[in-house]
Amino acid sequence: MYKKILAAVNEHLNSEIAARYALNLAKACGSKLYICFIAEKGMSGSNFEKAEEAMKRLFLDAEKMNIEAESITETGEPVEEINKIVRHEGIDITFASTRREDVERRFYAGTVARNLSLKLSCSTALVRAVHMGRIHPKDILIPLKARIAGMSERAYFTAKMAECFGSKVFIFHATTPITKFFHGEIHLTPAQWEKRLPEDISKFIDHMKKHKVEIEGRLLPGAAAKSITVEAAARRHDLIIMGASERSMLSSILKGNPVEEVLRETPCDLIILKPRHENQ
Amino acid sequence: MKINNLTKEEVFRNLVTSENGLSEEEAKKRLSEFGPNEIKEAKKTSLSIRFFRQFTHFLAVLLWIGAGLAILSEYLHPGEGMLTLGLAIIGVIFINAVFTFIQEYRAEKSIEKLRLLLPFHVKAIREGKEKEIPAREVVPGDLIILSEGDKIPADSRLIRVTYLMVNNAPLTGESEPVPLQHEPCPGELIESKNIAFAGTTVVSGSGKAVVFAAGMRTEFGRIAHLTSAVETGLSPLQKEIVKATRIIAFLAAIMGVVFFFIGQIIGRSFWENFIFAVGIIVANVPEGLLPTVTLSLAMGSQRMAKKKALIKTLTSVETLGSVTVICTDKTGTLTQNKMEVKDIWTPDNKQSTVGILMKNAYLCNNAKFIEGQYKGDPTETALLKYARGNIGDVRAGRISEIPFDSERKRMTTVNMVDDKKFAFTKGALESVLPLCKYVLINDGKMPVDEELKGKIINAYHSLMDKGLRVLSFACSELQTPNSKLEEDMVFLGLIGLEDPPRPEVPEAIKKCHEAGIRIIMITGDGSRTAVAIAREIGLVKGNSTVIEGHDFIKMSDMELRKELAGKEIIFARMTPKHKMRVVSILKEEGERVAVTGDGVNDAPALKMADIGIAMGIAGTDVAKEAADMLLLDDNFATIVNAIEEGRAVYENIRKFISYIFSSNIPEIVPYLAYVLLKIPLPLTIMQILAVDLGTDMIPALALGAEKPTAGLMQQPPRDPKERLLNFKLLSRAYLFLGPIEAAAGLFGFFYVLNSGDWKWGEMLPTNNILYMQATTACLTAIIITQIGNVFACRSFRESVFSIGFFSNKLIFAGIAFEIALQLFIVYHPWGNEIFATSPIAAQIWLVLIPFALVLFAAEEARKLIVRGKK
Repeated sequence: MYKKILAAVNEHLNSEIAARYALNLAKACGSKLYICFIAEKGMSGSNFEKAEEAMKRLFLDAEKMNIEAESITETGEPVEEINKIVRHEGIDITFASTRREDVERRFYAGTVARNLSLKLSCSTALVRAVHMGRIHPKDILIPLKARIAGMSERAYFTAKMAECFGSKVFIFHATTPITKFFHGEIHLTPAQWEKRLPEDISKFIDHMKKHKVEIEGRLLPGAAAKSITVEAAARRHDLIIMGASERSMLSSILKGNPVEEVLRETPCDLIILKPRHENQ
Repeated sequence: MKINNLTKEEVFRNLVTSENGLSEEEAKKRLSEFGPNEIKEAKKTSLSIRFFRQFTHFLAVLLWIGAGLAILSEYLHPGEGMLTLGLAIIGVIFINAVFTFIQEYRAEKSIEKLRLLLPFHVKAIREGKEKEIPAREVVPGDLIILSEGDKIPADSRLIRVTYLMVNNAPLTGESEPVPLQHEPCPGELIESKNIAFAGTTVVSGSGKAVVFAAGMRTEFGRIAHLTSAVETGLSPLQKEIVKATRIIAFLAAIMGVVFFFIGQIIGRSFWENFIFAVGIIVANVPEGLLPTVTLSLAMGSQRMAKKKALIKTLTSVETLGSVTVICTDKTGTLTQNKMEVKDIWTPDNKQSTVGILMKNAYLCNNAKFIEGQYKGDPTETALLKYARGNIGDVRAGRISEIPFDSERKRMTTVNMVDDKKFAFTKGALESVLPLCKYVLINDGKMPVDEELKGKIINAYHSLMDKGLRVLSFACSELQTPNSKLEEDMVFLGLIGLEDPPRPEVPEAIKKCHEAGIRIIMITGDGSRTAVAIAREIGLVKGNSTVIEGHDFIKMSDMELRKELAGKEIIFARMTPKHKMRVVSILKEEGERVAVTGDGVNDAPALKMADIGIAMGIAGTDVAKEAADMLLLDDNFATIVNAIEEGRAVYENIRKFISYIFSSNIPEIVPYLAYVLLKIPLPLTIMQILAVDLGTDMIPALALGAEKPTAGLMQQPPRDPKERLLNFKLLSRAYLFLGPIEAAAGLFGFFYVLNSGDWKWGEMLPTNNILYMQATTACLTAIIITQIGNVFACRSFRESVFSIGFFSNKLIFAGIAFEIALQLFIVYHPWGNEIFATSPIAAQIWLVLIPFALVLFAAEEARKLIVRGKK
């Protein structure tokens, strides 16, 4: 599925960490890795050097891991230039790191990361790097909604990430609690929730099993974002992979946006995946 | 692969840093990208929003509508007193909101206490120079310098150490200093010896480390995140009250609307019907319920405080009563945390060997005997005390020490004894025995063979089976400067120490068993010791399941769930970090869980549990802040006493609900009579409020102070499906007690009207004296019958005479208040003005008293029948 993977690097350490995930995925998929750096106008010499050094390090790592790699350096507006590379090279998925501005702005509107995920014609994996001690994630948390968009690609991506790090996958679905007007919230045990497992999640689990990934699942009632971060912190998960938000700005304002909240509060590294077919 | 597995060079490469540290420019850049190194509180609903919500729930909305309509009607149809009513309803909304908010409010300072464990400044190397920088500016990749007394600012990988020892107590609960190293370590990051964690302290030595996680991403931040983000939701009582108020509000609204339309059909005016509809809603809503529940919980918490259980959230008082599982620590809670030597074993049982064993116990020991007092760790103190008792004081200078650490499970000291250098070791058998080449038998060294090994292990097991914590001892003479420590040692023997159970604990555990409450012991001790203690205190009887920490980690949730369903379960060799998982699985299975804790890392479990119980004496500030209840004496038996009190509080809440709901019927029936019988309205809305928010309040509170019914702790925990407002309770109040009161009210009303010249069907103006006296009589009848009712509601089954007619003095105080308030309403001009009443003759009071006696007698008869049936 991913024959060509692009990792966008800049002068910041988190972009290099994001690119390392791309590197490992490329290894697992046998893909060609493109490492690109887009120098914005007015960028200082030292920042330019830092980005170049990061590219070099990644290139050397790729060589060590026997991954076919290519470096691209361009000047211009990052989203535009990356989009050109994606189209020109026929990239399947682009890895980019989120920045502090993504966390600080509501719905990370107008940020480079947001624009990449909206405008690129390939799949995007936005990486929020927060913990540099867990270099190879052993436990990956996969929060799922009842209806999963781009199921096969998400399953493939998850399986390959698990494969490259030899990780265990932990599927988690924070469902809306069952309430009745006169009874309030009705408590169900995990075994009872199991019977209400949404069809898409069952299918996702089947996909994982096909890829022979070790999985465990959990279905709990509660607010999605808070449940995800509490789960990740309580069980010391090393990485969260979740789907990109499909909520409109209005619905995000009214109902909140779990992706935005997890992005802000995540206790471990986070990858927000936007599968390709959603852009098409 | 984790950072602990890497070499120094790989660490630098991964974090893109070097021996010279980061440049200031890069550090600034990283600070802007990764954010400051600080502990933040998870985003929470603000206090103002939480208070605002008390005005927007279903019942409040209904009352707002009622108040709005009343004020609107005053505007459209002035002079009917609807403005007063509207304002009174708004007053009710505010009173309920304030009392519910008080119930839920809790000052939360655990994050503040956590922050105190982090430093303000830190020494770091930047651009090759040592600098002191604010701790909040530490970023991943920073090279920090650690020296004695320093608090560690962020999770860091050590790259150089010089005898570095840290106190990891905030993370592990273990107060013993842990030696750290800089070499790569296999295994998990959290257990690694080359990681210095944020919030821990350097006890001795020095080191250099590279920061890899800062702020909320550190292990310490993880505890902070869980402590502030975990929310237990509504307490069982709050849930029940929400359900009850929804039912009541719904019924009130339906009745109001239906009777409004009936009034319209039978031709009453719109305003008459409107007043009626609002009245029926007000009559149905027990306005005083929430304040009474809150005050009753406050009284319950006062009683618990006298029993050394300090409650921090009022609703926890009742939650305690509904607990089905208690997860408890062992040391200090079930036991006294006062170690004493109970048994010793030597391979030859000879006095000379015992003497050397005692010398070892004395010298390989950090406890001190100063000014007639033993000071130090309870285990070491017990050993020193015992050794001194046997061999007196020993003079031998200490040359060096390898401190105890939980990983090695042993400690060694090197001492000069009679000009000879000796190494003395003590620790767990599995750690000490492999160091021994010989065993001391009959003053000679015998090589350790399989038979001797078997004998030692058997002795070890038999001491553990007695519930003793067993330490093994070995020594060696260091004859040359090159002699290696902890090699070719001579095994001396075993000492078994006991931490005796608290004397009250077996009885408390028996009580829990009778009350259907499961107790799960979670201890750091070995499984044999844990089981032996559990048997001694009666915690386990049959074949209990014992799960050790290392198995626990490997178990899936499904497997753990199955084990936790068992009747008798003990967790041994556990650390506090595992507690939260146990609590969360139990809660998912529908259990109501109480958990004890004292350490910083117990805080998330304390927050997650329905009732988090912190130790008042041994507990850290963070645990105390995170808990719902503090045990002032750290004693398990206090938890059980508090549970009993909690159960009594719930039972008492049901008692005063019966009492309050009974008066709803004499408040509703006059309105029905008003519509259906075409008579003047026998009771005004303000008079209803006088009962609900005035005269009923103190007697209801007095019911909240009733002593627990006998046998309360012989019943299983309350079924979560059991409703606070069930059919039994409602039928007793609405169909049995209420109608008697309604009859009294109407009797009083008609008695006064008939004593005047009133004719059936004649409508009287609201300011007519006869009418005002009649409504006053109706109100007085309700008050008088409520006096009979307060005695009736003191029990559900038992005769009031059997529980002691005078046993609750507050009842009499409540009745005195009730009568005084009614006298004010009836005879004081202000009371007359506010409640539209008029003074009535004493004779009217007298004719109403029999109704109270009838109500009381009828209820006693009902209880007699109920007791007879069972």
